[in-house]
Amino acid sequence: MIKPSNKVKVFFKNIGHWFKSLIFKVDDKDPKLLVLYRKGATKSVVSSLISIFVGILLGGVILFILAIASGGDISLKAAWEGFRLIFVGVFNTGRDLNGNLTFGFNSTNIGNVLFRATPLILTGLSVAVAFKTGLFNIGAPGQYLMGTAATFIVALSIPTTIVPAWIVWILAFIAGFLAGALWGIIPGIFKAVLNVHEVITCIMTNWIAANIVTSMFDNNKGVFKHLLDPSPTKNLAYLFKTTENGVATSKMGLDVIFPNSQVNGGIIIAILIAIVVYIILNKTTFGYELKACGSNRHAAKYAGINEKRSIILSMAIAGGLAGMSAALYYLSGNTEFYWSTYQSLPANGFNGIPIALLAYNNPVGVIFSGIFMSYLNVAGLQLKNLTPFNEYITDIIIASIVYLSAFSLAFKEILSSKIFRKKSKDLSQEQPQEILVKPKIIAEEEEK
Amino acid sequence: MENYIIEMRNITKKFPGVIANDNITLKLKQGEIHALLGENGAGKSTLMSVLFGLYRPDAGEIYKHGEKVDIKGPNDANNLGIGMVHQHYKLVDIFSVLDNIILGAETTKYGFLQKKEAREKVIALSEKYKLHVDVDAIIEEITVGMQQRVEILKMLYRDNEILIFDEPTAVLTPQEIEELMETMHGFKKEGKSILFITHKLNEIMTVADRCTVLRKGKCIDTVDIKDTSIEELSEMMVGRKVNFIVEKKPQKIGRTILNVEKLTVASKNHKNNAVKNISFDVKSGEIVCLAGIEGNGQTEFVNALTGLEKITAGKIELNQTDITHMSIRKRSKVGMSHIPEDRHKFGLILDFRLDQNLVLQRYWEPNFQKYGFINDQAVRTYADNLIDKYDVRSGEGAITVVRSMSGGNQQKAIIAREIDRNPDLLVAFQPTRGLDVGAIEYIHKQLVSQRDSGKAVLLISLELDEVMNVSDRILVMYEGEIVGEFDPKKVTIQEIGLYMAGAKKDRREKTDD
Amino acid sequence: MSYLLQQTILYTIPLMIVALAGVFSERSGTINIALEGLMIIGAFIGVYFVRSIILLNVPLSFGQPLLILGMIVSIIGGCLFSLLLGFAAIRLKANQTIGGSALNLLAPALVLFLILIITSQSVLNIDSKYSSNDYFMLNQDDFGLGTKLENPLGVIGNVLFNKTYITTWICLALYLGLSIMLYKTRFGLRLRSCGENPQAADSLGINVYKMRYAGILISGGLAGLGGFVYSVTTVAASSNGDVAGFGFLALAVMIFGNWKPRNIAAAALLFGLLKCIAVGYPYIDINNDGIYFLNTIGVSQHIYRILPYVITLIVLAFTSKKSRAPKAEGIPYDKGER
Repeated sequence: MIKPSNKVKVFFKNIGHWFKSLIFKVDDKDPKLLVLYRKGATKSVVSSLISIFVGILLGGVILFILAIASGGDISLKAAWEGFRLIFVGVFNTGRDLNGNLTFGFNSTNIGNVLFRATPLILTGLSVAVAFKTGLFNIGAPGQYLMGTAATFIVALSIPTTIVPAWIVWILAFIAGFLAGALWGIIPGIFKAVLNVHEVITCIMTNWIAANIVTSMFDNNKGVFKHLLDPSPTKNLAYLFKTTENGVATSKMGLDVIFPNSQVNGGIIIAILIAIVVYIILNKTTFGYELKACGSNRHAAKYAGINEKRSIILSMAIAGGLAGMSAALYYLSGNTEFYWSTYQSLPANGFNGIPIALLAYNNPVGVIFSGIFMSYLNVAGLQLKNLTPFNEYITDIIIASIVYLSAFSLAFKEILSSKIFRKKSKDLSQEQPQEILVKPKIIAEEEEK
Repeated sequence: MENYIIEMRNITKKFPGVIANDNITLKLKQGEIHALLGENGAGKSTLMSVLFGLYRPDAGEIYKHGEKVDIKGPNDANNLGIGMVHQHYKLVDIFSVLDNIILGAETTKYGFLQKKEAREKVIALSEKYKLHVDVDAIIEEITVGMQQRVEILKMLYRDNEILIFDEPTAVLTPQEIEELMETMHGFKKEGKSILFITHKLNEIMTVADRCTVLRKGKCIDTVDIKDTSIEELSEMMVGRKVNFIVEKKPQKIGRTILNVEKLTVASKNHKNNAVKNISFDVKSGEIVCLAGIEGNGQTEFVNALTGLEKITAGKIELNQTDITHMSIRKRSKVGMSHIPEDRHKFGLILDFRLDQNLVLQRYWEPNFQKYGFINDQAVRTYADNLIDKYDVRSGEGAITVVRSMSGGNQQKAIIAREIDRNPDLLVAFQPTRGLDVGAIEYIHKQLVSQRDSGKAVLLISLELDEVMNVSDRILVMYEGEIVGEFDPKKVTIQEIGLYMAGAKKDRREKTDD
Repeated sequence: MSYLLQQTILYTIPLMIVALAGVFSERSGTINIALEGLMIIGAFIGVYFVRSIILLNVPLSFGQPLLILGMIVSIIGGCLFSLLLGFAAIRLKANQTIGGSALNLLAPALVLFLILIITSQSVLNIDSKYSSNDYFMLNQDDFGLGTKLENPLGVIGNVLFNKTYITTWICLALYLGLSIMLYKTRFGLRLRSCGENPQAADSLGINVYKMRYAGILISGGLAGLGGFVYSVTTVAASSNGDVAGFGFLALAVMIFGNWKPRNIAAAALLFGLLKCIAVGYPYIDINNDGIYFLNTIGVSQHIYRILPYVITLIVLAFTSKKSRAPKAEGIPYDKGER
């Protein structure tokens, strides 16, 4: 029977022990922090953070170079302000009487970050899921467009006088998902059955979708031209917003936390979907098969996995995610759709690519990289309003971050292999080996 | 003073984690055929790569005719007259034979290729050394034997005097090996000097003048062939007396497990069938071995048997069930396990963890998943069990990423997975390829224990030692047909070799059961 | 009819050049999906250069030398930008798809950023007073063929020598020359070997890294040139950070053409033709009899626009078995591996 005072002692001893095990070797086990460091996931996060940091630094350097090169048109102070705004522009609350920037809780900005992150997270998921199966879904814009069309058609056509608005919302959401999924299946089938590279099929289906959608709403002969907004400001160039039919995503209380912004419950739905995707990929047999196909299709076939089925379903899901991205974006009720899209593809579709890449295709990571990209975009707008620079600097930064992440990954691999090799040398019980896999060595190349 | 044309003195070459060459000295006499012997991983290829300029040594020097030389790359090696035929041919598939030969040594005028001269020179060389090639054929369409001749012509075209051959006989028929030996003798008569890497002891005894033995990166000794024997060489190579015999209990044969009837499989590379109308059976309690040189239809046969490829005609029965058109998974359920030829390509998913790989063939079973959700705990427990039972070593146990494991342990993992499923038929295709002697012994033990417990084992092997020692019954495959059936206790290696080379062929009666 | 052919040529030429750019990169072993970004950079740099020269008020009787200088500058710009991909892919052995995607993001961002700072507008033009056609377009009187509506050489004359640009001829010559170089010279043979079997090339003394850099630089230069030519001939020498998916289309043409210059030229022509029919079909008078046939059959404009993409898909469905990408593309070359 342990006395109460001893129990307290034991408790603190355990805590102390735990802290010690973080850094020191205890019970012949490696320090916990070292184990954590060695985990692949940690390396990915660290790599991403390094890329992000360097990318932002690069942006700052560009601002300063421009300030200097402009010979006084742009002041160094403006460059410095620009640099700060990149980091914390979201929290900017304007200028005080002295002209200095002030910061605080800017609910409009923060709310808008969440609002804009919603479609980005879902297209990011779309690209990530495809990548996990070894496919490059560059067709997200086309799937997004089909989702857009389906969402609007259902949301605006079912009269809310007969059917309750929330049911219409659900039907429209499902329609968006299905349209995207069906459109995504096309490159899937071409790849699985006909062995045509998905990049080229996706590029084709992007433009076919753009033209189909345009033709559907064509203000002369489109089947759905009645959905165009004829008011003088819009002039039949845009579709009605879904609020025209009383359909809009519930705010779920977020408008109370972030008043004066466009935020709605969509962000919560997007995050939930990301978690579901994570569970599917990592906890189900279906996810196991998808990842097997993506990692080694020969072994997958050897294991009896139906590769064709996996490819097709994966593209269907990816397409469906892109479709849901469009659905959530437009069902918010405060966005409108310019129907003549046959010449340009939606940015939300393409932006899924850097988001997936930054998150190393991890569904939960996509949540963060989606919010991060949205964060940078909103910060960019602050830059535009408050400095002589323009918002594209944040796009430059995002591009630099992705570029850096391309070889931070290679750097990570070198790190891992060095450490793994060290470990196996320690295993003295190992029988004599054939030479282990020689990892990529930059030094070797330098000898030449 | 001996007339050494090449001396490699005190060569050391390290890679992170391993010392591939440790202070090795090798001296090549002018006009001799010098063998370089060692097991996989002994450092032979690395040493020759240093000579050829593909690697730079960390220490040591190279001398030609007594003068120190610095070989910074293949160009330098070539300028010194050194040429190399690599184990895995370095040929560009879509180029023609001629383009492959001239690549890197092209004659040009203002940068434009001048092929007429080159073509004439190649044809002349081909005729002089009796190395028949079709100069305009595309590499991916010609035979392995002709591809090797292209590699040799590459050296001759560059007037190389010092010729390095890396495991040249690995994929040749005995007939082609004889031709190669003759060609080498021809080179020697002309005064060319040859270094050839091999792990095949009888070839060394046949053709070499001297032999240097490497083991684990160190040079053990250099001997004159006429003063030594196979047993001596083998002991130097391995470091201990090797037990060539595998211990087996007396055979207890039971019912027919596998029945293959008139199986025909098409070839992807040419119009003839890869497998032509073969029939045989495997009963419980026996190890049947399909022997033959690589490229005689074994791969296509195994693919058809396991379901990776479709068949053209014929029937396959497993446990009295017709599996001819069944999916891979169904065959597995009926009772077949498959240890694949290429463990990295088919056997494992390198980016997955060890436990994920160990359930590769079973993840869908009710123990491991429910309503599609994987039971991680069950998977982990099963994996730990297998790791323990089959002594699979890895950095972090069941959660190790397989890519970081050694080749031997990766293969052990595959074997653990396939055997533990208790299959009625175990198909093992080159299960000991690329492994060291210890691992080979272990794997043979596992195969025999399967057989002793009443299972059927179909072993497909290209290593004659393995074939002779492990199997109960040998079927020789040549050009897609079964040309002979033997009892290993009653037949000689030489006899089998003749069948493998297609020099002899028995007419096979259809086996009724 | 001749208008259709004129437009087709203008559309086809940059498509061919950029697809060839892809070929040089991929056949040396580097996947290059950054063609879009390279075009954007090339267009911007070329336009900016021309604009700057014009602002200097240097007198030029006709714009051809300026155009040629612009082409050279755009080539250099493309080369430099492609070094980013080359450095990442070859030296750092990074994932080439990611690197290419990053450049596709960087190019429009960088260009739009700079344009806004330069002009406070979102489009950069070479001149506010005159159109680019005044500067660069060649009409039949430039060839000494008079100014009558009816060209003395008929339709051919109208197509080849009227409303054309020297970029067309220069690009065609480049295309031909580079294709010959790829197949008939030592450099081309070695380049192709690096994309098929770099280990073999290395063992024969070829410097794979140098070859791959060469491949990427040529690729970058050509794509940059393609971007500038696209800008001059189809959007009146303006740069707006976008090339409407042209780079990706070139990628598709390259795959469609199986990485071979002859097939690529045919594929590009097909695309060009279909694209231009989609735009100009109501005005096509095939045999000059005053009947605009295609206008009358009532097929919707959208169908015409979809046609090139759908046809591509159909042809791909049937020919995919023969598709043969360079064997070693996308795999970073590492001397350490054997």
